Amino acid sequence: MDNELFMNAGVLSHPSEMTSLSSSSPPAMLNWASMETHPLEQSITRNVPRDCFFGEKSTEQSIFGSALNSLVSPPPSESNFSGGGAGENYVTRELVGDLGNIGDIYGAPASFGNGFGSCYATPMMSSPPLDAFSGDSRFAERAARFSCLGSRSFNGRRTNGPVAETASINGEMTRVSSNSALKPPAGESSGESSRKRKAKSKEHSPSTASPSPNLSKEVEGKEDSDSKRSRKSQENGENTKSLDPYKDFIHVRARRGQATDSHSLAERVRREKISERMKLLQELVPGCNKVTGKALMLDEIINYVQSLQRQVEFLSMKLSSVNTRLDFNMDALMSKDIFPSSNNQQVPQLESSSHILLADHHSHTLQLNPNDSSNNIMNPMETSESRSFNSQLPTLTHLTDSISQFSTYSEDDLHSIIHMGFAQNQIREPNQVHSTSFQGPSNQVPSHMKAEL
Amino acid sequence: MGSGNNPIYTGVPEKDVFALHFLQTLSNLRTQIPFSSPDKTKDRVKKIKKAAYVSMARAAGGTNRLWSRSLLHQAAKRNNKNVRLSRRRKRVTWPRRNRRDPVEEPAAERLRNLVPGGGAMETSKLMEETAHYIKCLSMQVKVMQCLVDGLSPK
Repeated sequence: MDNELFMNAGVLSHPSEMTSLSSSSPPAMLNWASMETHPLEQSITRNVPRDCFFGEKSTEQSIFGSALNSLVSPPPSESNFSGGGAGENYVTRELVGDLGNIGDIYGAPASFGNGFGSCYATPMMSSPPLDAFSGDSRFAERAARFSCLGSRSFNGRRTNGPVAETASINGEMTRVSSNSALKPPAGESSGESSRKRKAKSKEHSPSTASPSPNLSKEVEGKEDSDSKRSRKSQENGENTKSLDPYKDFIHVRARRGQATDSHSLAERVRREKISERMKLLQELVPGCNKVTGKALMLDEIINYVQSLQRQVEFLSMKLSSVNTRLDFNMDALMSKDIFPSSNNQQVPQLESSSHILLADHHSHTLQLNPNDSSNNIMNPMETSESRSFNSQLPTLTHLTDSISQFSTYSEDDLHSIIHMGFAQNQIREPNQVHSTSFQGPSNQVPSHMKAEL
Repeated sequence: MGSGNNPIYTGVPEKDVFALHFLQTLSNLRTQIPFSSPDKTKDRVKKIKKAAYVSMARAAGGTNRLWSRSLLHQAAKRNNKNVRLSRRRKRVTWPRRNRRDPVEEPAAERLRNLVPGGGAMETSKLMEETAHYIKCLSMQVKVMQCLVDGLSPK
């Protein structure tokens, strides 16, 4: 029967734990552990792994750390326990005591507790690295279960008398476990939400100190189930204390009239996140304002991304075809780039090189417009660019030759060209400060100005 | 391109950063010997396209963004197998449970296929990345358009 129960539970999957359990403790203990896990598992443990992974940043560490803390840190109200300073003993006794009245175990020799403690403590006491945790979802389940058991133990110890025998243990255990299973998760939502508010208001003060956007709700989930089960404000107080070290968890308030179980809360937070990001995307994608509904908007977004990617491909094709003809001029084009820039960084090296390239009076005209980057078309480029540029100076002699075409234009022409380009750019893109551009090898500068952005 | 008061950060650098990176990548391309031969057009196109994406990824966020990181990984894998960016300390969580098959899963699936690195993200993170990706893509398109316009003789 014991083995059967073990199989049914299927939660204690850690092989070393099982063996140590079987070796060190009487079978009755194993029974309660295995039996207990069933009803709990449904509501709590499911929640935990998802919520554990729900967090985005480094909340995993805090999740597991907090789970560990709840298990390990001895609750202050535990005055019943005699001696046994190690946290492991508290853990085991909580686990044991919560099933109500396993009074024998209180007086049980420390060896038993140690047996339990060791097997439970070893994976938990050490603070293993994240890698060990995140892959082990079953451990998360275990941690959640134990922590819930731990909080429930307060209830058990207070309400029930200590004396019980092995047989009665089983009976009581069944009673307790079925009791917990029967508590409706969604019932009395308003009442529970008010209770939750009490609990949360206590906790909000330490938590609001460090709010962070990427949080998990694992603690919330546990709290909810705990508050459901406990029905005592003291419980809430105890939970608050035991959960004090967790400060970076989202505290979600259950809304009045809505389901308050951890599942729905997690779902709600998730849905809110998604809708928030959908709004963000809606602003980005043009023409998405009229469309309502997530599915249609997602379709729109997908179409937009596809069109952008196709555009990139098309432009790269164009670029490759263009590049064949103007291959020799690549360096030149790099130097006299046609991209408008927004900032006014004047890199001195580039200026000097621009002087070299351009005839003096041209640079003079260019400097008439200090705000735009036409001064050095290299203006926005960083020093790396200038370095590469300087290294390619010898190849740019043809650039100077081509630019000398400009000498045919008078200064006024150049002015007008520049301003044309300016106006043109301003019409099309009011956001950026624009520059004019010069086309080196070709001599259709004015027409080209119009073509530029 | 103001994003308003958004706690979700989707800032994108200015156009010149993109331009710079793209030109650098292109110049690297030029140094490759078979590049200027006009017979293999498709290869050239592919190379340019890849250069565009890689430069965009570098310009946009380098390794700070999931999509750019995965893009660079893909590109590096194609070239040589040695390139490995430094691993982030935080392990990427297995996202199966997070996605949880909501109502909009089929559309999200398509989005995942489009955005690089989308397969390993949960839905809300996916949308964040999509927003940033869209911004960077549009910037890159503008840059390339500029370049093409500048290079094409009239």
